[in-house]
Amino acid sequence: MRLKARLTQEQGIPTASMADIAFLLIIFFMVTITFEVDKTQVVLPKTEIRFEVPKKAAYISITEAGHIRVSSGEEISVPVPGPEDVLSFAAGVVATDPSKAFVLKADATVPYRYVDRVIDALKQSKAEVIYLLSQQETIENQLPEG
Amino acid sequence: MKFTRSKAQDEIPTSSMADIAFLLIIYFMVTTTFAATRGLDFALPKEEDTPPVIEKEESVLIEIRPGGAIVVDNKPMQLNEILDYLKPKLERNPMKPVIIRPEPTAAYGDMVNVFDELRQGEEKIGIQVKNISVPTQREIERFWY
Repeated sequence: MRLKARLTQEQGIPTASMADIAFLLIIFFMVTITFEVDKTQVVLPKTEIRFEVPKKAAYISITEAGHIRVSSGEEISVPVPGPEDVLSFAAGVVATDPSKAFVLKADATVPYRYVDRVIDALKQSKAEVIYLLSQQETIENQLPEG
Repeated sequence: MKFTRSKAQDEIPTSSMADIAFLLIIYFMVTTTFAATRGLDFALPKEEDTPPVIEKEESVLIEIRPGGAIVVDNKPMQLNEILDYLKPKLERNPMKPVIIRPEPTAAYGDMVNVFDELRQGEEKIGIQVKNISVPTQREIERFWY
């Protein structure tokens, strides 16, 4: 009598759908990616009211020590020597696009005089809208310490 | 005699596709930075040569001192008391000018806190604070004195 060969099932992890999942992930990252034009590390103030900043907005960042960097929103930010240079930068940006939004990314602890001079430069350059970049205020932030 | 021709199977080799896809995923994961892209909008009044009408007596002046102390119309006040103080004034005049004046050495974050509090007027006291201005030092020197 001839015995029937036992049917052996091949062992393996099904990987056919792996590429599909991977491509879905790629699409997600491609859609959500935003190349940050300004990577200055600052501690942003916390606010409850927050609006989405327009894409391609010009950035002005001020660090805790008062160092200023600017970006027109198209390229990586560059340092400027002082607030008076913000005026020429902003005037150039407004001349190219009068409706351009400016985003002020300033450290919460920076003395206000630095911010004041930047805002003044923006006003003089006829900038119409600026956004004060902030973090979300949470209930924990509002609780008293201790 | 029977000849059997070995047939080459027609298919696109996809075994390396997952590797390529995962490399792309790793690239995007490394380069992606979830940037803070939200903030308070701060509409700037247009720069004009004619002095704006800023009457100190008719407006509410919020001074921000170094250390975060808030003084509203010469009265020390906590952040959460400002809107209650403003409510009767805004009921009489919804366009009541509210001027925020941080001292040069005050922290920027304290100014933002006050500005954020004023912007929440509608939710907290049912009246929107419509006329908020933050004059710069140059404007104060030019138009106030």
